Amino acid sequence: MNCEEATLLIGADPYTSSPELTEHLQTCSGCTEFHREMLGLEANIRRALEVPPPSSAATPTTASIASFKDARRATAAVAGKRTRPALWRGWALAASLVVAVVGAMWLLRPSDTLARDLVAHVQSEPNSWVSTQVVDVRALEDLLHKAGVTGSSLTSQQVTYVQYCFFRGHFVPHLVLRTSQGPVTVMVLPDEHVSHRETFHESGYAGVIVPAPQGSLAVLSRGAASMDSIAQQTWFTVGKRSQP
Amino acid sequence: MTDILQDTRNTGPEKPVSPGMGPSGAADEGITRLLQALRPDLVRFAHWLARDRAIAEDIVQESMLRAWRSRESLKDATSARAWLLTIIRREHARLYERKRLELVCLDDEIDHHALAAGDDTDLHTLRAAILKLPMEYREPLIMQVLGGFSTEEIARELSLSATAVLTRLFRARNKLRAIYGLAPSSEPTATGDTP
Repeated sequence: MNCEEATLLIGADPYTSSPELTEHLQTCSGCTEFHREMLGLEANIRRALEVPPPSSAATPTTASIASFKDARRATAAVAGKRTRPALWRGWALAASLVVAVVGAMWLLRPSDTLARDLVAHVQSEPNSWVSTQVVDVRALEDLLHKAGVTGSSLTSQQVTYVQYCFFRGHFVPHLVLRTSQGPVTVMVLPDEHVSHRETFHESGYAGVIVPAPQGSLAVLSRGAASMDSIAQQTWFTVGKRSQP
Repeated sequence: MTDILQDTRNTGPEKPVSPGMGPSGAADEGITRLLQALRPDLVRFAHWLARDRAIAEDIVQESMLRAWRSRESLKDATSARAWLLTIIRREHARLYERKRLELVCLDDEIDHHALAAGDDTDLHTLRAAILKLPMEYREPLIMQVLGGFSTEEIARELSLSATAVLTRLFRARNKLRAIYGLAPSSEPTATGDTP
């Protein structure tokens, strides 16, 4: 692999990994520096996109609504499907769907909303589970520093994914540790307080939430990993937030 | 608890079919839960594509109806997320192709983002820059980062070559480098943005 190929691959996906690229990076300082820069940029891009659409933007401009409706009418005119009965059926179907959704949510509501939110968040970042590339030490340190977490002895050899994620109104560290029993997600939650250890099984995930000196820690796995041992390890290594 | 949401990770709609997801009541219940569970993801994905919250909501609503109508075609729960995101993207493309939407004031929109996130100036600028990326660059970037699509999956969906997708992704990120004071990288000469 030459520098041009490496630059293209890194620029297109900084998290990409292949034996050829790894070998090239070991011998090319220029591409290594470019890789480091792009990993930093990528963390910010993911952080930027992580933020859900603001509720205050729910009121659109008149122009955009009119434009959308025009487009819908254009679609109907071309397809010949947007007749009044079709629209009526559509709304009826939508209403049925809403009723079904509400009913299902009521019947199947999770017992713990924090657990549910954790699982939903992890599911929203599918890349976190598949990454096998070890995280750059500086990226990890930067993130923990940004989160106000001190005293961490986590090493980059353990961490394959690190993001500063927007979760329940706060940016929190979201890490994935590679263990012999598969990837394990750790989320440091300085603003979520639990009084005692709580376990949960939700949507195929098993997890544990443990109280920490400040806030709590959540550990999730889809395998048989010993989450308590991870939590215990993380408890001691990511124990305190330097600033409120 | 049998759960259709289990393992809805980065897999394409073309994955092998598994049994047990027929048009039964249980499957209907599953798809209902699936749509509800993934709705925030779908709205966020549509929002970054459409650049307007209200339009994104409409796209998602229309897409959920389409998904519901064609729920029997979803045979494998592991491909559900990619399947839904693909429906969203196509719904957006359908709308985009019918009529180019009038531009909204992105500055106002970005201000809302900043207020909502309490973020720093660089992140604010980055969001603005992502929203202002031309569709040909923004779309594959959103598909990759938010959708979890692989290069090959993006290429298939956009009818491009894998090399063209790599080039567009490279260019998208290259345009964003300047925000952090990084010089644009020279584009590899061996690539071309051709289908």
